[in-house]
Amino acid sequence: MTVEVRLERVSKSFGGVRVLRDVDFDVRAGEVHALLGENGAGKSTLIKIIAGVHAPDTGLIHIGDQQFRALSPREARKGGIATVYQELLLFPELTVTENIFLGNAPRGRLNMLDWQQMRRRARQLLDSLDSPDLDVDAKVGSLSVANRQRVEIAKALSQDARVVIMDEPTAALADADVERLMAVIKRLRERGVAIIYVSHKLPEIFALADRVTVLRDGALIGTRPIAEVTEQTLVAMMVGREIDHMFPKAEAAIGETILKVRNLSYGQRVKDISFDLRRGEIVGVAGLVGAGRTELALTIFGITPADSGTIEVDGKPVRILSPRQARNLGIAYVPEDRGLQGLVRPMTIAQNTSMAALRHVASGIFISLTREARQAVEAIASLGVRARGPDQVVAQLSGGNQQKVVLGKWLETHPLILIMDEPTRGIDVGAKAEIHALMSRLAKEGMAILMISSELPEVLGMSDRILVMHGGRLAATIDRADATPETVGAAMTQAGAAGVAA
Amino acid sequence: MTIKKLLRHETILAVLVVLALIVLAAQSPRFFTVDNLLNQGRLMTEVGLIAIVMTFVIVTGGIDLSVGSILGMSAIMLGVFWKNFGLPLELAIFLALMVGTLAGLFNGLIITRFKVPPLIATLGTLALYRGIAEGVSQARSVRGYPDWFYVLGQGQVLGVPTQLWLLGIVAVVAAVILGMTTWGRMTYATGSNETAARFSGLRVDRVKLLIYSASGFAAALAAVIFVSRVSTTRSDMGTGVELDAITAVVLGGTSIFGGRGTIIGTLLGLILIQALKNGLSLAGVKSDGTIVLIGAVLILTILISNLFHRDGTR
Repeated sequence: MTVEVRLERVSKSFGGVRVLRDVDFDVRAGEVHALLGENGAGKSTLIKIIAGVHAPDTGLIHIGDQQFRALSPREARKGGIATVYQELLLFPELTVTENIFLGNAPRGRLNMLDWQQMRRRARQLLDSLDSPDLDVDAKVGSLSVANRQRVEIAKALSQDARVVIMDEPTAALADADVERLMAVIKRLRERGVAIIYVSHKLPEIFALADRVTVLRDGALIGTRPIAEVTEQTLVAMMVGREIDHMFPKAEAAIGETILKVRNLSYGQRVKDISFDLRRGEIVGVAGLVGAGRTELALTIFGITPADSGTIEVDGKPVRILSPRQARNLGIAYVPEDRGLQGLVRPMTIAQNTSMAALRHVASGIFISLTREARQAVEAIASLGVRARGPDQVVAQLSGGNQQKVVLGKWLETHPLILIMDEPTRGIDVGAKAEIHALMSRLAKEGMAILMISSELPEVLGMSDRILVMHGGRLAATIDRADATPETVGAAMTQAGAAGVAA
Repeated sequence: MTIKKLLRHETILAVLVVLALIVLAAQSPRFFTVDNLLNQGRLMTEVGLIAIVMTFVIVTGGIDLSVGSILGMSAIMLGVFWKNFGLPLELAIFLALMVGTLAGLFNGLIITRFKVPPLIATLGTLALYRGIAEGVSQARSVRGYPDWFYVLGQGQVLGVPTQLWLLGIVAVVAAVILGMTTWGRMTYATGSNETAARFSGLRVDRVKLLIYSASGFAAALAAVIFVSRVSTTRSDMGTGVELDAITAVVLGGTSIFGGRGTIIGTLLGLILIQALKNGLSLAGVKSDGTIVLIGAVLILTILISNLFHRDGTR
């Protein structure tokens, strides 16, 4: 197998912080090389160096038999390197064809765009990706995340990419789409494409990868053939310690019902939902993407007030029309999109922590900065946020630590009910275990937690009860004792035999 | 850390202000005199009041282009209430201030209720309010106000122009609100990330309504002072004042995208502009030359500040 790209003793610092230290890395034609590491380990920097986004401080980049000190994005593209980023960089208002060929469209006579050839080649590319159902004339904005990703892959292939970098491609995909994506990746491998695959999800890595490289704190921990490692060894390599209990939902005394939802409906996404939530209980909400889970949370939290149905908090019937009202009733919502909905990223940890309960750190209208800082210091300590101090800007924190700040913000409101939407999405293994431990602790202290999650192991491990949603409706309620991947998975996809969740 | 703090926008600006004052004082002996400086303060007040509240508006990520028109409309209404309706001047002043505040509230309602971008909403009311001012005034000016009214715009208290006291008080109150209170924090949060602010249970819409109302009030207050200073009421008063105010705010380091800015910065921006205008004209530079220089200073300051202001946020 020929080596397509090789990094030799590459180092990189940002503002005095070493993010990569003398890292060697290579990827060969026809292999899937998984890149693994906690957030902040240097994975993103590594792939950005290969893609020509960042220039390394020292070290060399070899593409084929050429040698570079640094690559420009254009040189990387000419070298056959294409990247499918986590946040898909497509133009929603353009069609599938236009997106695929943007920047390298085939030209016809008089240097005009050759639309027929473009559409034909787009069709071929998508067919080769096993996506004959994707319309080449559809606007990308109207496509599902999974389909957009296929367009991005097709775009990479249209440039005759020999190396495709995939940055957490399955982070936003439902299980069915994940399987389809894996099939596509295997196909690419058979064609001799080299694939660099960045992911947190170990099962995927074992299913796909030929070799795996682990980074930790910017240093290369090791590159191994997949057959020589187990899940335990990989986790140990990543975090530098063994994590024995990934999902430690501790036994908690289940108390009285604190949230009673009956026949709750909002638009087309939340239909006739009824359930109870009790103190000390973690109720998981499972479902495919688009099943209406987040919409249910947003309705309870007052962002999109319910059209019909009733909500009782602590025995009192309430109508929740705004997040402010929800907060005053003791409902907290840790949202799915941390950067957009959860945090004010340019603000400090202290300022974010106090945001939902400004009154607690204020005397009258005046904010006491000392009280605010003290509160933040306490939150940092009790939640185990790794930060320089309360004055650090949250945008500089890693995903897991940002999530802890969001959680800290809501704990300052002393909620009765905590809704967590994808609490560990995009968070590395170590921080994930910490978040799970925190949730357990909160449940034990008597908090009622509603946890929305797309990760089945998380739902199964953490929940006392599992609500399964499908098409906006409650498809099943499964007790912990009866919950297996099979029963929950079946409920998630049930009735979906005919209709595909869009 | 300390070096970074020293290189804050406000510090750079303060150094620039001092430099400008030194250079201008060397150019003309009449510039650096108490009389001239106090007089410049008098001239600065109207734009200053508007710019101070505009700082809040821009920190929320908005803009208010209608302040000049609100100034004109409030001035006209002051004259109409007093002369045509025969109301006592005190009441007329109060009502003119109310008109301005309501005009600002109306801006806020369009922006928050109907989700119209502030630029568009206030561009519309810029035309609307000016049209009302012209329609009501019928190109007639109002004169002959009682003597006590001129104290506000032409008189002095303890040797300092009356309106400069007012500007000082408003500036201090605004700086305290923006820098130290929950209201100020909500203003910054709204401008930095409105969605997250809303998701945190902050009353984002109410904050905006209040701020746009305050902007209207400031414009009306500026109108009363303006009328008192020039002894007459005309419908074209305040034309273009919105751009002067926005220039001062942006020069003062407030991010046009919201989330960042201080009252101190805005005041320094105001002083720099006024000093350049006055000092250069005393030094014999033509007014078109002055405008060119102010434009250049604006762009340069922002460039320098951007050069030093690189936080680690990707």
